[in-house]
Amino acid sequence: MDAWHWQKLGKIFDPTEHHLALQCIEYAQSPQVLVFDQFVRVYFSTRSVDQGKFLSQVAYVDLQRDLRQVIGVSDKVVIPLGDLGCFDEHGIFPVNVVRHGELVYAYTSGWSRRVSVSVETGIGLAISQDQGCSFKRVGDGPVLGASLHEPCLVVDGFVRHVNGTFHMWYIFGTGWRRSSQDSTPERTYKIGHATSADGIQWDKEGGGAHQIVSDRLGPDECQALPCVLKIDARFHMFFCYRESFDFRKSGGRGYRIGHAWSEDLSNWHRDDDHPLLDVTPGEWDSDMVCYPHVFELDGQIYMLYNGNEFGRFGFGLAVLKK
Amino acid sequence: MFSWRKLGKVFTPQDVTGRDWLSEFAQAPATLIFDDFVRVYFSCRPAADAQGRYVSHSAYIDLSRQNLLEIKAIAQQPILPLGGLGVFDEYGVYPVSVIRHKQQVLAYYGGWTRCESVPFNVAIGLALSTDGGQTFQRAGLGPVLGYTPDEPFVISGPKIRRFNGLFYLWYIAGRKWKRVNGRPEPVYKIRMAWSADGLQWTRAHKDLIENRIEDDEAQASPDVFFSHGKYHMFFSYRFSSDYRNKTGGYRIGYASSTNLIDWQRDDSKAGIDVSDEGWDSEMQSYPHVFELDGRIYMAYLGNQVGREGFGLAVLDGELR
Repeated sequence: MDAWHWQKLGKIFDPTEHHLALQCIEYAQSPQVLVFDQFVRVYFSTRSVDQGKFLSQVAYVDLQRDLRQVIGVSDKVVIPLGDLGCFDEHGIFPVNVVRHGELVYAYTSGWSRRVSVSVETGIGLAISQDQGCSFKRVGDGPVLGASLHEPCLVVDGFVRHVNGTFHMWYIFGTGWRRSSQDSTPERTYKIGHATSADGIQWDKEGGGAHQIVSDRLGPDECQALPCVLKIDARFHMFFCYRESFDFRKSGGRGYRIGHAWSEDLSNWHRDDDHPLLDVTPGEWDSDMVCYPHVFELDGQIYMLYNGNEFGRFGFGLAVLKK
Repeated sequence: MFSWRKLGKVFTPQDVTGRDWLSEFAQAPATLIFDDFVRVYFSCRPAADAQGRYVSHSAYIDLSRQNLLEIKAIAQQPILPLGGLGVFDEYGVYPVSVIRHKQQVLAYYGGWTRCESVPFNVAIGLALSTDGGQTFQRAGLGPVLGYTPDEPFVISGPKIRRFNGLFYLWYIAGRKWKRVNGRPEPVYKIRMAWSADGLQWTRAHKDLIENRIEDDEAQASPDVFFSHGKYHMFFSYRFSSDYRNKTGGYRIGYASSTNLIDWQRDDSKAGIDVSDEGWDSEMQSYPHVFELDGRIYMAYLGNQVGREGFGLAVLDGELR
């Protein structure tokens, strides 16, 4: 595995070059694929504007299997936001899609605004009967949310069906803190794991608040957006991580791509450097790299990811060289 | 029809001095019976902030067992501090329902947070007391009963009971936020769950009580009591709009069940209604039925959902 490395293939999608629904112009965050015979659908979260604030909206772009040529973008609402007072009223970001028989399940990360802190989140489920063109929410509430030992910010679900069991990797908040008395509250979150027989009722590992990947930066490390793929004999998890405070600007405190591997889906060994996907000075991903999505296509392992400004101007691609 | 004889108002929060956190409201009475006194938990509020927003605390008064109209003691502090920044119970602990279990007292409570598009959200928390119910510590920083696809928000009004070796929790779950004259008003229905350990809950996933006055009827504070081979539920209900007055405000309803899950609503049996005048002339809510020394009592709230305290009624006859 020492020989593995990521070869960057550049930015492949810029949302400002396309006409998206709901007057969304900027942001194409957290790209995640659904592979079809003839093309690859890449879902992402873009943003509409509501009363001066953003609403994250799910959209997709269909790419040729070369992952370069754009066939088209979604021109309608893909997943509706929740109604008044619902957990997903103010945005869905990110979304993870997985086939389930003839259906496509979308695990949505719903956002709703709060008063003392900016937001609370939960993970919802929406189901598509038309091959992922449109989804219907299974209810007005989340399938995974805050619980006794996970007090807030359950989000970023990534679901795969392994040996008859649904596995979800997700993140849970450990709390909100201010770095100084007058500063805006910031959050810290860690990667957790849950299992399910039906994809709807979930059991959090260890009853919840069970961090499965060790910290590199210490207790203030935020770990986000886990994705898991079996490559050769091992399961590999890619995610992003950053400091809890002062992470929005450059200076090395922003998101980087992390990595861990496991042979049993229980014990994870963190090893960010093998393979490492790092920032590239002077490029679109010079300040940060975040929201990795790793998948296999036609014998190659690819990573879609966002760069500077959390994906405001699109996402890029890398290929794993073994 | 049951025959409740009103004993009058028991507690007026405005009479209390020296407790900034107990300025007005005494909502959701819930009893814990001791040898010499009856501890009645309730939820109260300090004065509203500059924007008119309240926080809720929960506390108790101790009533003489010989004379329930005599207040022996008032809690010096709330039984539980508010939750931390950004968690579900940052802005309120209301209502609370208690039960003894082994050497502890368990308190299930509604934890309140503030939202941007709607005024609040609620989820149910759990706290434990090892000093006989004077002070409580959280079982965890998050809710023990949170949101699900069919119970998306406003999970509140817990009543904890123990029957046949299992814990039962009756509570309400929000169905929708309805815009009434531009203001979001919550519509909620009565639900239930059960648990072997009080931590892991299995939900019934059904509305227990059919609607009577309108589809968007709000149903609240389900209180279940076992007597003469039947389970008796007293609850409160109101219209979805224009309910802060006598016409649309809370009334006390009734339902019964033989199996805890299937309930027959019959409000005509409730046997208690608003008075012609006085503290409960406009609305009644948060019924809590308990037995003491061979009599059955109901504690309940009057006008403005308990702004000026709660009262008692005693049952003449039997609950069957």
